[in-house]
Amino acid sequence: MRHVIAIAKRELRSYFVSPIAYAAITAFLLLSGYFFNSMVVKYVRDASLYDGQVERLGRSVQYQQFDVPTVILENFFSNQGVYVFLLVMPLLTMGLLADERRKGTLELLLTSPVRSIELTLGKFFGALTLVVIMMAPTLVYFYFLAQGGAWEPGVVLTGFVGLLLLAAAEIAIGLFISSLSENILVSALGTYGTLVALNFIDASASLTRSIWVDFIQFLSFYSHNLEFARGVIALRDITYYAGFLVLALFLTQRSIESIRFKRS
Amino acid sequence: MDSRCASAGHVQIRVASTENRVVGNFRSVISVQHLTKRFGSHVAVDDLSFEVRAGEVLGFLGPNGAGKTTTMRMVTGFLPPSRGSVTIDGCDLLKEPIEAKRRIGYLPENPPLYPELTVRQYLSFVAEIKDVPRSRRAAGVERAIERASLTEVAGKRVAALSKGFKQRVGLAQAIVHEPPVLILDEPTSSLDPKQRVEVRDLIERLRGEHTVILSTHILPEVSQITDRVVIINRGRVMAVDSAANLSQRLRGREEIAIEVGGATAVALQALVSTVPGVAGVRIEETDDGRAIARIESELGVDVRAEVARAVAGRFRLLGLRSESLSLEEIFLKLTGDGPAEAGPHVQS
Repeated sequence: MRHVIAIAKRELRSYFVSPIAYAAITAFLLLSGYFFNSMVVKYVRDASLYDGQVERLGRSVQYQQFDVPTVILENFFSNQGVYVFLLVMPLLTMGLLADERRKGTLELLLTSPVRSIELTLGKFFGALTLVVIMMAPTLVYFYFLAQGGAWEPGVVLTGFVGLLLLAAAEIAIGLFISSLSENILVSALGTYGTLVALNFIDASASLTRSIWVDFIQFLSFYSHNLEFARGVIALRDITYYAGFLVLALFLTQRSIESIRFKRS
Repeated sequence: MDSRCASAGHVQIRVASTENRVVGNFRSVISVQHLTKRFGSHVAVDDLSFEVRAGEVLGFLGPNGAGKTTTMRMVTGFLPPSRGSVTIDGCDLLKEPIEAKRRIGYLPENPPLYPELTVRQYLSFVAEIKDVPRSRRAAGVERAIERASLTEVAGKRVAALSKGFKQRVGLAQAIVHEPPVLILDEPTSSLDPKQRVEVRDLIERLRGEHTVILSTHILPEVSQITDRVVIINRGRVMAVDSAANLSQRLRGREEIAIEVGGATAVALQALVSTVPGVAGVRIEETDDGRAIARIESELGVDVRAEVARAVAGRFRLLGLRSESLSLEEIFLKLTGDGPAEAGPHVQS
């Protein structure tokens, strides 16, 4: 445990002196702020158009009745998960192990009395902590939302839990891919490809119904994240993320062990 | 640091040769037995065995690609061997890797640095992962900084340091947890001559407190700082001995050279050949009337006095020196593709 904390601390410290982390955090906050703002504007406008039509015609032809804060939260969290994380996560994970391999510091870590699982977890928690720090300023948005009246703190909470689980799964995948190469660009591109696939794999599947469609939908990050964004915490979503996490971290640990067998 | 490993203490020293004979009960701190590493069909290290005693500095010498780095990576636990065992201060590296690794300080060929950290932050991190207790960590880091002469740059980022300083940070990293064993892979190879001397002095200061294995291909370094040398080539041990002993034993015969004025080659040859004990003479004549004679005799027979007396009677003796085999020549003799040496030269 001591080693895990030491490695995570070192990772965080290195993040904050590297331009990549600042670029990623800036991009994250700009995008998420933009999405939040445009959603508030859009749904508030839609709601007022609905009200206007109801007032004039007695019913609305274009719009359905909806609860503004709920729709904003749902769309914000699912958007955040799909687009913003997708852009930022590979930047944060690409160097985690690839950089250690390139710099030769992996040799230091593996000749120290550190187990490869401790190294894996240290890296994982270092990156996850950065994501938490990165997401913290977005809490301000909900303060603004609360000024507008009725809102649901419960959905904000489940939304954040969902994002945290999603971030953890994406970091674990990025960490594993980062262990496969010494080249951070290869690692970043590999992670982008994998995350795009995992986010959009269900996009083409919903036209028909079969067990395969169900399976592919189950694999997709999108549907699981959507549940949390709607304020639902379901065992099946938590199991899904937990399984993903354990598998990716296990693969990372095996991959680190296998690096030692390679000739360099 | 607790010492959980069972067999720490006195270990019988075996001569690392085919006969595997016990030569004494030294305290052996590093014991390498039948270490072998295969990469596919390529055998990088082939049945390597040697012992290092407490406080000794062992030099690892061999041409590029001889298996030096592979051996060191196996001794530090980075690379798992295909066969064989490594024992560090009584801990079996394969059975108790965590215990064994606590006892090793390792400087790979390229120092493993985090350029974005300051020297102090970096050393503190290394101390942490090397299990230096929190209460001793700060003091340990300061001690390593001081010993590696890094005081003036301790607050600077590693990225901003010169190559020589980076190498010293690498050394500080290896000693920060005060390990009994230090393994240094070519610690001076990429440095300029001044930095090289500084790093060498630093290693000299570490002698005694640590048992050291260091690899190098810089030959003068070997005779300067090592107690014994392991010469390896193509993954095999060619010789284990002190540099001085190797030089003597490989020579086969004694050789002296004299410089004489006012002598012709024929006359000098005839005169020197009659001196008792002389086994062979080669004469080189120079343009200005001087001649150089290289005189061989059996091992252990010193003919200098007789030769000097005989020559001084007829010609002007300008110089006389004993020729010894340089380390370069030993190295080439043992690792070259030329006439093979008869068997490995091993003496413990």
